[in-house]
Amino acid sequence: MSTAQAQGRIGRVEFTGSRHELMLVILRGYSLMIPTLGLYRFWLATWKRRFYWQNTVIDGDPLEYTGTATQLLFGFFFALAFFLPIYIGLFVLSMQESTYVVFGYLGAVVIVWFLMGYAVYRARDFRLSRTLWRGIRFDLRGNAWAYAFRRFFWSILMLVTLGLVYPWMASSLWKYRWRNTWFGDRRFEIAGNWRAFAAPYYGAYLLNLLTVGGTIVWSAYSHDFFMVGAVPLPGPLSTLLAIGCVIVFALSLAWYRTRSASRMLSTVSCGEAKLSVKITTGALFGQFVAYVFAVAGVLLLLLLTVAIVLGGVYAMSSAGGKADAASLMSMFQSGTLNVALLILAYLIVLGAFGLLADLILSFGWWRLLARGATITSPDSLRTVRSTAEDRALIGQGLADALNVGAY
Amino acid sequence: MEFAARYTDGLTADVRDVLCVIDLAADPIALVILDAQSREVIDRWPALEVYLLHSRMMELRVANRQKPSGARLAVAGINDMRSALNLLPQLAQRQRADSWTQFRILALATAALASVIVAYLYGIPLLADRLVAYVPPAWEVKIGDTAATQIEASMTKGKGYVLCDADPNSVANLAIARFVSNVFDGLGSPFRPHVTVVRSNIPNAFALPGGRAYYLSTLIQASRTPDEFAGVLAHELGHVYYRHGMETLIASSTTGLLVGFVLGDMTGISAAAAIGTNLIDNRFSRRAEAQADRFAAEAAARLGFSSKGLVDLLERVASDDEFSRALALFSNHPLTDERRRALEALEVPVAHPKPIFTDVEWQAIRDMCPPPLPPPLPKQISAS
Repeated sequence: MSTAQAQGRIGRVEFTGSRHELMLVILRGYSLMIPTLGLYRFWLATWKRRFYWQNTVIDGDPLEYTGTATQLLFGFFFALAFFLPIYIGLFVLSMQESTYVVFGYLGAVVIVWFLMGYAVYRARDFRLSRTLWRGIRFDLRGNAWAYAFRRFFWSILMLVTLGLVYPWMASSLWKYRWRNTWFGDRRFEIAGNWRAFAAPYYGAYLLNLLTVGGTIVWSAYSHDFFMVGAVPLPGPLSTLLAIGCVIVFALSLAWYRTRSASRMLSTVSCGEAKLSVKITTGALFGQFVAYVFAVAGVLLLLLLTVAIVLGGVYAMSSAGGKADAASLMSMFQSGTLNVALLILAYLIVLGAFGLLADLILSFGWWRLLARGATITSPDSLRTVRSTAEDRALIGQGLADALNVGAY
Repeated sequence: MEFAARYTDGLTADVRDVLCVIDLAADPIALVILDAQSREVIDRWPALEVYLLHSRMMELRVANRQKPSGARLAVAGINDMRSALNLLPQLAQRQRADSWTQFRILALATAALASVIVAYLYGIPLLADRLVAYVPPAWEVKIGDTAATQIEASMTKGKGYVLCDADPNSVANLAIARFVSNVFDGLGSPFRPHVTVVRSNIPNAFALPGGRAYYLSTLIQASRTPDEFAGVLAHELGHVYYRHGMETLIASSTTGLLVGFVLGDMTGISAAAAIGTNLIDNRFSRRAEAQADRFAAEAAARLGFSSKGLVDLLERVASDDEFSRALALFSNHPLTDERRRALEALEVPVAHPKPIFTDVEWQAIRDMCPPPLPPPLPKQISAS
């Protein structure tokens, strides 16, 4: 192979996992979460990551996830240390005068919002430093606190400008993340700036403002609404318009996400190797539609199950001859059974929706990203050398406590 | 026998296709890694140090304890995988050992968590009892004041309570105050409870930390005898005496922590966390209700009125709402049937029951908050 050929070669990214396989992983995880009082969630997260990583094959070689569930578990314990002072503070606060209480809770919200930035960065660091490709580890350097401050001040600006400053915020945070990302001894670079976000973001912003505002103004003007107490409910035409607004929102969200991800990620490079990502809006919108139909289907299924169970209970209670509400109620009188049933039903609903979101949205997005990605001159990466192991990280800690870790 | 693999040395990202053969003559036995084309030796791995990693289906990933942590042999294809497993029979050993370790960690962590939960469920009422003793009464009174303004604002949407009888020296208010001081007489409580009768269309009565108790007018209208009114009032005074408000505050602030731990959401904003916290807190509140019932029964025995009135009144109010009975565990009042049995067991028959309020007083209390008058009839148009 000549140098010219090597330079011109394009590395493909494939995704080899199936939804079926992921479903088995998740169902197994859910069923083990019950006897372990929820602690299996760290193992489930680890298995899910193994699934995603191993099945992402970049230029012929899969990613490898080397993190373990125990690391996540211990990280969570450490995160508790952050929360205890906040908890104690809130407890003392709740005994003060009401103005202090309001300010105190506001303060707590602000602190948690700030900590989330730290947590998100650390979680990314945890994942990257446990990702191998061709035997070389990725890493995220930079300072998680610096990132948290950045994100925090940008979000204040977001509030002040009613979200108009978003493209600058997004590009600033993306740059901080990517320019601190390393593959072995080689640093990632990102060339994209706010322009990559501006068109899709402002487009979506304006479109939704027009549709939502238009619907509200139209229904107020044409009096196509009725009042239930002090709450206005839309009339028939307004309901249709509201559904239209949701569809427009989903479409614009799909457009924004695919456009900005494609444009931004296509400016990422690592040395001479350049990433290029193409995702179509239709593909992501298709997933949204699939998700809505799946949720509707699951809801129908759950309702049918409840109807059948209630019917059965009613038949049982009326078997004695009198079928009145009181005897039906008496079957639910036993408190413990009642609560156990409610908890079970709740867990099933929660699990079903979690499963759907994982199988359709998370899986779909990952696969779109993987399949849409190509790498130019991947052979330049062969000279990357490994760096010393980053053992400082104990789990992703706060991210687990704040529930912000994705994938 | 040999198998093909992709090899990385863990030092550079230079992946290459290799052939692996086993060298039984070497000591220790070694896996020899050869370049696929030139067949020159790239590396020798001690065969006993190799182990299997988790990998996707139809692939084996092999690492070596003695080599850099990124050194890998990736074996794909059914034939190569089979030969690799045949050549290195001990390959899966470490993976099995690892699964066992994981299982033990998980079991240990679960056992620890379970014991924390059990200790919490049974221990926190005791602990809250003890901790409450260390909260200075003056502090509790201050907390009660804060809670009172918050509740007032939320109940009346910021308009403030409509007092039924603002004059503290009216017959009714004096009668209630006398009853309260009779109940608390000789108990050595640091609190001096104060009862406020407030106009509201909710049939309820409640007590706050520090001695404030509220009796809502609709509940007075629902009371048929002085005993019923006195029973419920004594029950609320029981909450004051046992400092239940303070106990709940202590208990529920730790419940959030525990539930967050189980669900992994320390912020407690998810519905699951809210429901879980509620369930556990209600366990404590049911215990507190039973304690307050006992206080009411004891007060009744001491002052010579019948504690049966408490149950009668609650039952009359609760019968309006059958569904609430089905969800009794979620409400902060225990099942009336359970309570009735418990109270009946406590009841001491009074030989010579004496009225707890005089007829005049009882009438005054009943008249504190008369139900609103019906809207005036339309004026007759006089024919002129």
